[in-house]
Amino acid sequence: MSERVLTKKDITKSRFRWFITLELPNSFERLQAVSFTYTISAALQKLYKDDKEGLKDALKRHLEFFNTEGTIGSLIVGVVLALEEKKKLEGDVDPEVITNLKLGLMGPIAGIGDSLIQGTIKSIILSLAASFGLQGNIIGGLLPFLFPLTVYFVGRYLAILGYNLGTEAVNKLIGSGLMTNIINVASILGIFMMGALSGSYVKLSTPLEFTIGSSGKSIAVQEVLDSLLPGLLPLLCIFGIVWYFKNKKQNYLLLVISIMIIGMLGSLVGIF
Amino acid sequence: MTGNFGLALFSAILYAVAIPGYGLSSAYKSPATLGLIYGIIFGDITQGLIIGCSIQLLYLGVVATGNNMPSDQAMAGIIAIPIALSQGLDAQMAVTIAVPFGILGTFFNNMKRSINIWFLHYADRKAEEGNVKEINRCAVLYPWLFMSALQIIPIFIISYLGPTAAQFLIDYLPSWVTGGLSVAGGVLPAIGFALMITQIGRKEILPYFFIAYFMVQYMGLNTMAISVFGVCLALILFFNGSQKKGGEVHE
Repeated sequence: MSERVLTKKDITKSRFRWFITLELPNSFERLQAVSFTYTISAALQKLYKDDKEGLKDALKRHLEFFNTEGTIGSLIVGVVLALEEKKKLEGDVDPEVITNLKLGLMGPIAGIGDSLIQGTIKSIILSLAASFGLQGNIIGGLLPFLFPLTVYFVGRYLAILGYNLGTEAVNKLIGSGLMTNIINVASILGIFMMGALSGSYVKLSTPLEFTIGSSGKSIAVQEVLDSLLPGLLPLLCIFGIVWYFKNKKQNYLLLVISIMIIGMLGSLVGIF
Repeated sequence: MTGNFGLALFSAILYAVAIPGYGLSSAYKSPATLGLIYGIIFGDITQGLIIGCSIQLLYLGVVATGNNMPSDQAMAGIIAIPIALSQGLDAQMAVTIAVPFGILGTFFNNMKRSINIWFLHYADRKAEEGNVKEINRCAVLYPWLFMSALQIIPIFIISYLGPTAAQFLIDYLPSWVTGGLSVAGGVLPAIGFALMITQIGRKEILPYFFIAYFMVQYMGLNTMAISVFGVCLALILFFNGSQKKGGEVHE
C-alpha cells in the first residue's frame, strides 16, 4: 500500500461530521450534497493545503447530487477519502471515477441501509421501547438511545473499513455472497418482527351481535371470527393497506384520513 | 383555562433547536422518550410513558426512504403528550390528537428541504472561491439557525393553545367521533407495518411474518420473547447461508 497522508483520526473525524449533520442541510435539489462536502472538507483541506485550485475542484465535485442511508453510507465516506488521497498523491485517479463511484454505491447502500438499519434495527429497538413503556417501565423511555449508539459505532467501523479496503474491495463486498446473505437474513428478521408487532399492536374488533329468531339467543360476530382465526380483522387491515400501497399511489395522508373516517362511520352505525 | 407559558416554550425549544445528530435526535425526540421527559415534568412518569409509547406504536416501521418523511413522530409526541397529561386524557385519546400533528410536522421537513436549496446555491458560489469555512456553515450553522427560528413560533403557539382547544373539542365532540377515532388509533399502526411489508416482504419470506403474527395470537408471547426467537432464527439462517456459500466454493 502506498504512502498515506490521512490518519485514522481524519477518517473518524470526517465520519463524525457525517453522523452529526447528515440530514440537516438536506435539500430537494441535491439532497445530501452539502453534508457530504462538509463531511470531507477538513480532510480535503489537509490533502490540498498547497493546491488551491485542486481544493476548489474537489469541493465542486462533491457538491453534486448525493443521497444514501447514513449508517452503511459511512462506507462511502471512507472509500471516497481513500480515492481523494490517491488522486492527490499519485495523480492517476480521474475525477469522474470518484463521482461515478459515489453515484454507483449510493443506490445499493441506501437499499441495504433502509431495510437493515432504518427498517429492521430501528423498528426493533423502538418496539422494544414501546413494549416496556406501555407497562410504565422507565426502560421504555431510555431504550431509543440504543439506536444512535448502534448507528454511531457501526458507521465508525464502516468508514475505517471503507478507507482501508479501497474501491475494488468495497465493490466486491457489496456484491459478495456474504453481503447477500446478510441482507437476506436481515429482511427475514425484519419481516418476522413486523409480524410480531402487527400481532401485538394492530387492534380491531367488532361488537356486532345477531339475534336468531325469537329465542333471544345472540351470536357475537367477534367470537365466531376468533374461533375461525384469531386476529383475522387486523390481518385483513394490514394486507388491505399492503394491497393499496402496491396497486395505488402511496398516499400516506389520504390513507390516514380514510382510516379515521371509516372508523367514525363504523362507530356511528355500530360495526366497530 | 389558559395554556402553560413555560411548558409551551420548553416544547418549542425541544422541537426546534434539537435538529442535528443523525439518529440522536430521532431517539430523544421519539414519543417513547418524550413520554418519559413529559412524565418527569408532570410528576407522573408511568402515565407519561404509557401515553408516549402508545403514540410510538403509530410510527413503528415508518421509514423515511430518501428522507421523504411520511409523518413526523417528534411533532406528534411534543404536541400530544403534554396535552394528554395536562388534561388527564387516556392513551387512546392522546393517539388521536397525535395523528394530525404527525402529518403537520412533515410540512416543516419539506420547508427545510426547500429553504436548503438556497444555502446549497450559496455553497456553490463559495466553492468557486475555495471558501471551506462558509461551506461548512451552509451545512450546519445556517440551516440550523434558520429552521430553529422558523419552527419555534408555530410550535409555541400550538403548544400554548393546544390544551384549551383539545378540551373544547373533547367536551363537544359526539361519542361516535371519539369512539371512531379510537378505533382508528388501533388500526393506524398497521400503516407502518404495511409499508415495511411492501418494501422488504418478498413472497418467499412472507411466511416468517405469519409465523410471528400467529405466535402472538395463539401463544400470547410479548415482543421481547419473540425478539429472542427472531434473533436465534436469524443466526441459524445466517450460518446455514454462509455454509452453503462455502460448499459451493469447494465444488
